[in-house]
Amino acid sequence: MNKALRRLSIACLVMFVVLLGWVNYLQVFRVNSLASEPGNRRIFDQQQKNQRGEIIAAGGTGPQKVIAESKPLKGGFYHRVYPDPFTYAPITGYDSILGTTSPGGITGIELAENNYLDGTASKLAVYNLKGLFTGKSRQGASIYLTISPKAQAAAYAALAQLGKVAGVVAINPKTGAILALASYPTFDPNKYATESSAVLSKIDKAYRTDPNQPLLNRALNDTFPPGSTFKIVTSSTAFETHKVDNPDSTIPAPTVYPLPGSSSAIHNDDDGPCGNGKPSILIALTLSCNTAFAELGDHVGGQNLHTYADNYNFNDPSLTIPLPVSASPYPLLTDRAQIAQSAIGQFNDKVTPLEEAMIAASVANHGVMMQPYMVQEVRAPDQEVVQNTDPTEIRQVVSSQVASYLTRMMESVTHNPSGTAYLTAGPPATRINIAGKTGTAQNGAEAIGIDDAVFTCFAPADNPQIAVGVIVKGGGFGAAAAAPVAVAVIKAFLGQQ
Amino acid sequence: MSAAASPISDQVMPRGGLAPIPLPPGRRGTELAMIGFAVMIMAFAWAASGFGLNGHIPPGLITYVGGFAVLLLGAHLAVRFLAPWADPLMLPLAGLLNGLGVVMIYRLQESGVGKNPGQPISTLTANAALTQLIYTAVGLIAFVVVLAVIREPRVLQRYTYTLGTLGLIVLAIPAILPARFSDINGAKVWITFGGFSIQPGEFARIALAVFFAGYLVRKRDVLSLAGRRVIGIDLPRARDLGPVAVIWLASLLVLVFESDIGTSALFFGMFIVMIYLATQRTSWMLIGVLMFVGGAAIAQEFIPHVHERFEVWLHPFAQALGNGYQVVQGLEGMAFGGIFGTGLGQGEPYHTPLVQSDFILTGFGEELGLTGLMALVLIYALITQRGLRAAIAVRDPFSKLLAGGLAFILALQVFIILGGVSNLIPLTGITTPFLSQGGSSLIASWIVIGLLMRVSDAARRPAPQPIQDEGLTQVVRAG
Repeated sequence: MNKALRRLSIACLVMFVVLLGWVNYLQVFRVNSLASEPGNRRIFDQQQKNQRGEIIAAGGTGPQKVIAESKPLKGGFYHRVYPDPFTYAPITGYDSILGTTSPGGITGIELAENNYLDGTASKLAVYNLKGLFTGKSRQGASIYLTISPKAQAAAYAALAQLGKVAGVVAINPKTGAILALASYPTFDPNKYATESSAVLSKIDKAYRTDPNQPLLNRALNDTFPPGSTFKIVTSSTAFETHKVDNPDSTIPAPTVYPLPGSSSAIHNDDDGPCGNGKPSILIALTLSCNTAFAELGDHVGGQNLHTYADNYNFNDPSLTIPLPVSASPYPLLTDRAQIAQSAIGQFNDKVTPLEEAMIAASVANHGVMMQPYMVQEVRAPDQEVVQNTDPTEIRQVVSSQVASYLTRMMESVTHNPSGTAYLTAGPPATRINIAGKTGTAQNGAEAIGIDDAVFTCFAPADNPQIAVGVIVKGGGFGAAAAAPVAVAVIKAFLGQQ
Repeated sequence: MSAAASPISDQVMPRGGLAPIPLPPGRRGTELAMIGFAVMIMAFAWAASGFGLNGHIPPGLITYVGGFAVLLLGAHLAVRFLAPWADPLMLPLAGLLNGLGVVMIYRLQESGVGKNPGQPISTLTANAALTQLIYTAVGLIAFVVVLAVIREPRVLQRYTYTLGTLGLIVLAIPAILPARFSDINGAKVWITFGGFSIQPGEFARIALAVFFAGYLVRKRDVLSLAGRRVIGIDLPRARDLGPVAVIWLASLLVLVFESDIGTSALFFGMFIVMIYLATQRTSWMLIGVLMFVGGAAIAQEFIPHVHERFEVWLHPFAQALGNGYQVVQGLEGMAFGGIFGTGLGQGEPYHTPLVQSDFILTGFGEELGLTGLMALVLIYALITQRGLRAAIAVRDPFSKLLAGGLAFILALQVFIILGGVSNLIPLTGITTPFLSQGGSSLIASWIVIGLLMRVSDAARRPAPQPIQDEGLTQVVRAG
């Protein structure tokens, strides 16, 4: 019987070896595939057990403001809270229980800086290791934004008061740091922080089917016709290509400019003449004469306009700040009528509010465009800085000389009593020396009746601290609807009246 | 034959000397030291689960671990008197498993209670660990009683048919009783009365092992000699297949009427292996495996309950929120633990339904990781091998068969349950020896350890010393 017993003993060993092999397979090789099974409750719980880092608006002067934080619940879980949800929603985005497992599960800075916020970034490995020994659960790093709480609050309040689809962006022209970024209408990210997937799916559906598109970030991902603000680009092209020598050079400004090769014609806003009929380019911009700039556009040509539009960062689909920014299209045109129209921002050219701010910022910064950015610092749980952003140049858009010409012209828009923004952004409105340009766009190709209001500016003109781009859809005349928003942001940021 | 089993015959009497023959070591000191080690591991595990849950050493450290140590020491002392030659590893190994089981049940019972993390487990009472400790006491008393009452393993052979009949009756009771007295969680394998419930199958298994051993010892010549040879395999005579067919039918009936695939597989596996041990004929193994696979295939086809289990086995994630929920939670728990585990009290085993009984190994896999789970499997392997070693060493064929069958059934039980919860094979709800919450399984497992230690004591016990009368007596070595 012993032979059979020995064989049985080997059979038993084989059974145990099979078991050992199988559990090795499960707990070593299948760890990741089982962890990523949909609905894995342990993985989900684990994510809710780590304290996600804070997002802090830390730009400008005055106190910083926490705009996203994780508060402890019972049982070691955390709940994401957005203390000022509507004002900061286009910046923070939201972090739902779906997280990165599903497209749209997480957005905004929550998504762009997810690796730091949830503590998995390789730069945080050493802190995680410390946590392993002290038994603390993983803690995320905090994101310090360049956003100024004062400017941001003013920006959202101004948009909310208008109550129209609108976006506004403010940039520090010297660094590219984004000081404010607001969108209207917007959403409440706190609603996305629910622990219930049923509630989440209801909320998400309601927002996604809302015709006002509250989830759309108008400041970065919606484009509008630039209207007359594009005349800054046209002027830049004319100076740079030496078609116009300086701001005091006169340019042709007929009362009616018939479009070349077309039966239609371009008029000025009041259907009258432009100044004395032969104004300097400075006066033409101050009064925002359409005929003068349409003819100037035809004069400099589609190729040149396209080149300088590209210089001003039109047609760039890959800009991230780190939120992804939609391209502002300015196509290369060959038809002279189309070129003339596009030169006054009325053809197929479209811009984001960020692009408007970048145009003003480039002018303010002696023609140098800075890379816009929103994340200044990343700090580990022990407050040590693990990442810091240094300002970088994108390119020299126009020469410093041309930038100073443009500054003079934009100052004239707000300071010449007949300038389009004299009443709303000039001395009657504020003591701050603002240089700007209004735009009133007839909604490009798909005109809906009410014009879009656009304003791009920087201040103070002699020592620029802030550049602002505003677009209000259906806002009407640019100076009336958009300029006050920019002025409110500038006042709040500079802390003056 | 091991050296320890027959040392006496190797002793050469010193010529003209009167020095007594030295007795082989009993190894009780080793056993005591190993018990100390087991209790220490349990104490650390207990403390670790408290730290993992709420950062404090749990209040019951002294009572529970101390009480457990006293119980094991009592068993050890009893072994010193009742079975001094028994294997020194079985008691500490089984004790370690039992202790870790109590720790895991404590950890699960505390889940979600007070400020502890996790969710409370609705199928677990607030003092489940204490109850388990009481079952441990009863189990160890049963262990001592076995050693005290059965002084020689072969005396059991006298009760072959008594125990066989008793085993079958006890096994059949839940099938006959109305469901409210026998059905818990869909398996009709219980006898419940006045708040207590026992699983008679756990005990019937032991009685039937005794019956098989007694029956087969008598019939083994007939079973192994008569028959024809077909394609190199010795087939038994058709009429000798009768009893096998009866047992096969009985196990299928258990399956049909009690919805208990695991127990039926265990019975059948044990019986086939014991026939193989008795006859040394591989053909029996082959026939047995074919009959079981055939039976399972038919059952899979016609019994919905069994069919469900097969579906879950093949596509667990296709019904992750339905029938496959338990298996999926167990698998995800094991994967969550990975190689080193989350640490006791720090995983989420409470997501897995019945993690305190059938799925307790997935709980260990989650919190102690692959490392801890492999250690547990190796402990089972060690107990099995020590049992088989006792079977090899003992001389009496009945004891050999009994020990071989009991040792194998432990290994098979671990294979079926761990294979089932880890989805290596279809899941069948049977208990995990020594670890699962519940009295019947624990007490029965301790009885098995008692029987195996009795056999190993018989195997290692030196033959009675002859009365030394120099010049007249001579030690003759038997061939």
